[in-house]
Formats: sequence, C-alpha cells, structure tokens
Amino acid sequence: MIIEISHFLSILATGLFFLVGYFSIFTPSSNSSYLSSLITRTYSQGFFFLFFSFLIYVWLAITDNFNVEYIANHSNTALPTFYKITSIWSAHEGSMFLWIVFLSLWGFIFNIRVNNNEILKPKSMGIISFILVGFLVFLLATSNPFVTILPIPPLNGADINPVLQDPALAIHPPTLYLGYVGFVIPFACAIAFLLHGDAEINWEALVKKWSVSAWVFLTIGITLGSWWAYYELGWGGYWFWDPVENVALMPWLAATAFIHSLGVSIKSSQLRIWTILLSILVFSLSLFGAFIVRSGIIDSVHSFANDPDRGLYLLGFIGLIVFISVFLFVWRLSSIKSSSVIKKFSKQSFISINNILFGTLIFSVMLGVTYPLIYEFLFDQKISVGAPFYNAIFIPVVVLASIFLFFSVDSKWSRSINFEFFTAPIFLSAVLSLALTFFVMQFFNTQSISILASIFAGSLIIFRYIYEIINFLFKKKYVNPFSVIAHMSLGLLLVSISFNSLLSTERALSIDINSTEEYKDLKIFFEDIGVENNSNYDSIQASFLVEDQNGRAFNLKPEKRRYFTRGQITTETAIHVTALRDIYITIGDQLDDGSWVVNVQINYLIRWIWFSALLMGFAGIILVFSNRAKA
Amino acid sequence: MNPIRKRRVFSILFVLLFSVSGISLILYSLNSNLDYFFTPTELKDRNIPSEKRIKVGGMVLSGSVERASSKISFIITDYENSVKVVYEGIVPDLFKEDSGVVVLGVLRNKTIYAEEVLAKHDENYMPPNIEMNNDN
Repeated sequence: MIIEISHFLSILATGLFFLVGYFSIFTPSSNSSYLSSLITRTYSQGFFFLFFSFLIYVWLAITDNFNVEYIANHSNTALPTFYKITSIWSAHEGSMFLWIVFLSLWGFIFNIRVNNNEILKPKSMGIISFILVGFLVFLLATSNPFVTILPIPPLNGADINPVLQDPALAIHPPTLYLGYVGFVIPFACAIAFLLHGDAEINWEALVKKWSVSAWVFLTIGITLGSWWAYYELGWGGYWFWDPVENVALMPWLAATAFIHSLGVSIKSSQLRIWTILLSILVFSLSLFGAFIVRSGIIDSVHSFANDPDRGLYLLGFIGLIVFISVFLFVWRLSSIKSSSVIKKFSKQSFISINNILFGTLIFSVMLGVTYPLIYEFLFDQKISVGAPFYNAIFIPVVVLASIFLFFSVDSKWSRSINFEFFTAPIFLSAVLSLALTFFVMQFFNTQSISILASIFAGSLIIFRYIYEIINFLFKKKYVNPFSVIAHMSLGLLLVSISFNSLLSTERALSIDINSTEEYKDLKIFFEDIGVENNSNYDSIQASFLVEDQNGRAFNLKPEKRRYFTRGQITTETAIHVTALRDIYITIGDQLDDGSWVVNVQINYLIRWIWFSALLMGFAGIILVFSNRAKA
Repeated sequence: MNPIRKRRVFSILFVLLFSVSGISLILYSLNSNLDYFFTPTELKDRNIPSEKRIKVGGMVLSGSVERASSKISFIITDYENSVKVVYEGIVPDLFKEDSGVVVLGVLRNKTIYAEEVLAKHDENYMPPNIEMNNDN
C-alpha cells in the first residue's frame, strides 16, 4: 500500500507540473498577479508531492521493503542503513528518480527565493515544469522504480555493487546531479527571456548566483568522483578520459565559459548572444551526459544496463529541448542587441577569447566521445579515443588560455587605453616563472615541452595573482576574491598536474613474505598476510612495513575482498599520504613460488590536484555568499 | 566594393580560415591518436605497425595464464583465433580464465605487449563482437 502511495504521489506531481507548464506558457496573460501566484503555489505543491514520494521511497529502502523490485535488486538486509539509502542511486531507476527530485528542488528554491514581480518568473517556472514532466514521464514509463514483486518478495535482497559501498561514492553522484540539474535555472530564464522577446529585461543578473551555485556543485562533484576512482578502483590516476568523465567535463567547461560570459553581459550588456547560447549549451550538455550514461550506448566503468527504449526516449526529449531552444534563439537573434563594439585589450576582449578557447575544448571532447560511435556506424570498425588525443588538444589550449588570463589581469572593463605589456607585475611574474621552469628543466632533467609549458603557464598565473594580493594587503587596491582564488586554483592545478605526470612512477614487484624489496627510495618489508572475516565480506589483508629515505617507517595494509552476496572480488588500496606524495600499494595474486605480486605507486602532488579543484569550488561559494554581486 | 563591406568580407574570411584550420588540426590529432579495436580473428590478416597502439578483446583462454615474478602472460581467444599477451603489473580483480578481457598495447612478433588490461566492472561484461560465441 505504502509503495502505491509513493508511486501515486509522483504521478500526481507530474500532473501538477504539467498544469504549471501549460498555464504559464500558453496563457496569454501570464503576467497577471493572480496567475503568477497560482503558478507559484501549484509548483510548490507539485514539489512537495514529489519530495514526499521520494521520502517514502527512502523509507522503503531503509525498512528493506523488498516488495519493491528495484530495492530488492540493489539493497540487502545486511547493509548498514547508510548504504541502504545510498543504494537508491546505485543504479538506473533510483538515480534517475533522485536526479528528477533535485531538478524539482532547484525549481522550488528558485520559486520561493525569487519575487513574483520578477517578469521572467512565471515562464521560467513553466519551462522548469515542462522539463520535469518530460523526465517524470520517462521515469514512470521506461524506468519505473516502483515496480513491485508480488506476492512473495525475496528474503534478503541482492546487494549494492561493493565498489559503490563507499562514503565518497555515496555523496559523489548527488553532488554531481545537483550540479547538472542546477543549470536548469539559467536555461529556463534564458528561454523565458527569448519568449518575452524584450531585450531590456536583464535576465543575466537574475541567474548569476544560481549559475555559480550549480557550477560549485559540478566542480565538487567531479573532484569527488576523481578522488573516489583513485583509491577505490586501484588504478592510481585521477583522470582517465573515460566517456562518463568526459560527459561531466563538457558541461563544466561550458558552465565555466558561461559564467565568464555572464559577467560581461551583466556588466556591459555585451556578449549577450554568447551568453544565451552558452546557457542553452550547458543545460543541453548536462542532459546529453544523462543520455550517454543512461542509454548504455558507450562502454564505460559507469554505464548502466543497456536499454534501447530509454536511449531513444531521452535522445528524442533532449533533441526536442535543443530544437525548441535553438529555434527561439534564431527567431529572436536580431532583437537581442549587444550594446557596443568590444574594445581591444578590454576585459571583454579577453573573455571573448576565453569563450572561443573553451568552445574548442568542448568541441574536442564532444568529438572524442562521439567519434567512436560515428566511426563504427560508418566503417564497422571499433575504435576508442584515449588520453593521447585529449592531451594533444588540452595542453596547448589550456596553456594559451592561461597566457591570455595572465595578461587579462591588467585589463580594464570597456577600456583599451593605456594597456601596456611591459609593466612591473607582468615582467616580474614572467621572470620568476621562467626561472622556475628552467630550474625544473635542469633539476628534474626533463625536455618535455608539454610539462614545461604547463608549469610555466601555471606559475605565471600564480605569481601574477600573488602580486595582486600583495597590492591588496599593502596598498588596499581592490581585488575580486572570487576571481583571484578561482584563477590561482587554476594555476595551482596546472602546476600540480605537471609535477604529478613528471614525477609519479609505478612498478609491479613480486615479494616473498618476510623479505624486503626496494623501489626508488622505499624499502618495502612484507610482514604478514592473513584472512579476515567481516559481516558482508572476507578479505585477504597483507601488511607491509615501508621505510622511506629519511628513515620514517609506516604500515600499509592493502586488501583483497570477496563479497558474499555477489561473489565479487575487489581491491582495497593502502595509501600513505604525505604533503608531497602518496605511497600507494595494491596486492595482486600469489605466484606459484609463494611470493605475491604487489603494485607500488608513488604519486606526487596528487592531493594538490584535488585541493586546487576544491579551492576553485570554494571561490564559487565566496561569490554566492558575497553581497556585492546581488542576484 | 565599399570599404565597410570590404572589411566585413575580410573579417568573415578570417574567421572562416581560422575555424577551418582549427578544426582540421583537431581532426588531424584525433586521427593520429585513435586506438583501433580488434578481435584475434580480425587481427590475424592485418598488418599493424609495431608502434601503433591497439585494443584487443576476447576471452582469456583457460589454462593459458602464466605468471613469472611480476609479469603475466595469457592468451586471448575468440574461439576461432587467438593471440598471446604479455603484461607487467596487476591484472584487474575481474580478470580470470574463461572471462572477457580487453587489452591495450602494441603488437610485436605476434605478441601483444600490453600497457593496460581491462576487465569491466560488471560481472556480466562481454567484450564486443564475441557475444555470439559464448555458448561454447
């Protein structure tokens, strides 16, 4: 009974959202105050029904209600309560449900935070509602999480995939989803703006904080995923150019370009066409990500089961959204006027270049993701696009973008006068960065152009902004904290990634128990190996005593686990974290002579990579909570 | 042509030239960095340069796995043809005899020197192209 209530509430919510969409978009007088308050109230009711439906679903998962087929297949009585909840988003139906709930949540917060007098609000709510209806119909028709097993439910349930039983993974998908669907706000407002067709409306200022908030979630979500993959999958590495990582990267790149462009449009009414186009692009790419992951069209560690129906529905729905958006955009193109010509060397000019460079990156990633599909269709030959392609594109473009960023620090809004290339800060940072790059070249004996160029570009940014900070501290020159922190994080990210790829090494060793192997500066002593029993898995746990060059010793205990319910074997890495490097050990199989294969990785500055990314997200939080940029 | 129109034509030409050369650069680097996927049968009659990275997928032939120190060698088969693989390092947890595997590496002397061995994070995973033969 309770399952049906939950199911029914979702259907009811779908109906209410449809009403909101219909009345706000197809009623001519949608600006009357009666109608707009009706829209506000109806949307809130729809949201409460959907949210309550989800809460009931969470309750069903906690109480092991295996009458629900989805819960029976993805949860288990032996799981801790925390993982019973997170099992909801461990597979397709549940994560889609969560995705939709988050989408409606953004709409709800927008609904209560934004005043009814706001001219774009009713139509924006209508667009959000129609998108919700589209996805709810998708959920209920092709991937219904409420399907029941009657009359006799299974006793214990299957299990959540063990690699997903992990705190980072429990919060990584929700954070990422919050980021993806958050871009519905700028998208809906942009479309509402196009529908109104009044170029005087300043929709850009309305969506600024919403866009940055969504961007923060996306940034943190991607970082969490990278960190999880590093320690859980046992491959080392922080980024694999896996299709699913790429489809998260594309909206991030588009969103970053969008936020830059948005700043210009708010400040000086320029680049407005770019900004609208980018807002459509960000949301379309978020939806495209959902399509790629959900349709199973691409083989990846993340992809869920194949289902052509789902893929077709999603593709059709996304196609419809993109078609309508682009149609409206072209239709209104001539009436959206940017105020004036962009002057050379003004901030606007640098941001225009930034838009083009980010566009190049997005295009390349899109090509890398879709080209294998096209190629197979045309030539019946399977191919894949790996890291070499992305490195060949990203390194030069990002280095170029960094150099433009470096010069843009001196530029002024709307002014080209007095731009000088040879000022003290530019000269000083360039000399320091060159010195650092030269030092790296000599000290680490490397000739790799891509690494040296990235280090140079990264340090240029860092030194330049340090100069700004010093100016702020001693001369009280104004700096924008969001811009300074976000851009310095980019510099730090570049430098960390470069050093990571320059210095990190790995090696597979075979070690006997009670013997020592040396690798680089490490002495690795294999103390012991034994079997341990746990509530839902057995494990083989090895114990190593590792000593580094300074005589510091520490224990590392990598494991191999076998989970009972699925018989799945997983590797648990053991990582010793220091400020500069991680010592990362995994165990493999036992050889015939009794020794064990052990993989040792020394990963330099890997924590700094995530730290930089989180710092970038933190910069966004500063902007959202600052009073200067009023939403 | 009047000067304004002339300038406009030039700027359009410039943008066109710029984007065409950009896109060609991207496509060129895409083309030179593709990894082709083969089954052992498809690999058999093909001449592949020894520096070209390729992907090969199939089933791990039972009884073919040999380990020596940190090296592992095994045979990938599609039940028609097979190819030997040598790899140094730890194979994934889901790697076992008679189950699907995909390796990335270079082909020299009819042996693949793998830099990556993948078994998917899904116990039901089958490498593409050989699902038909699974009943054997």
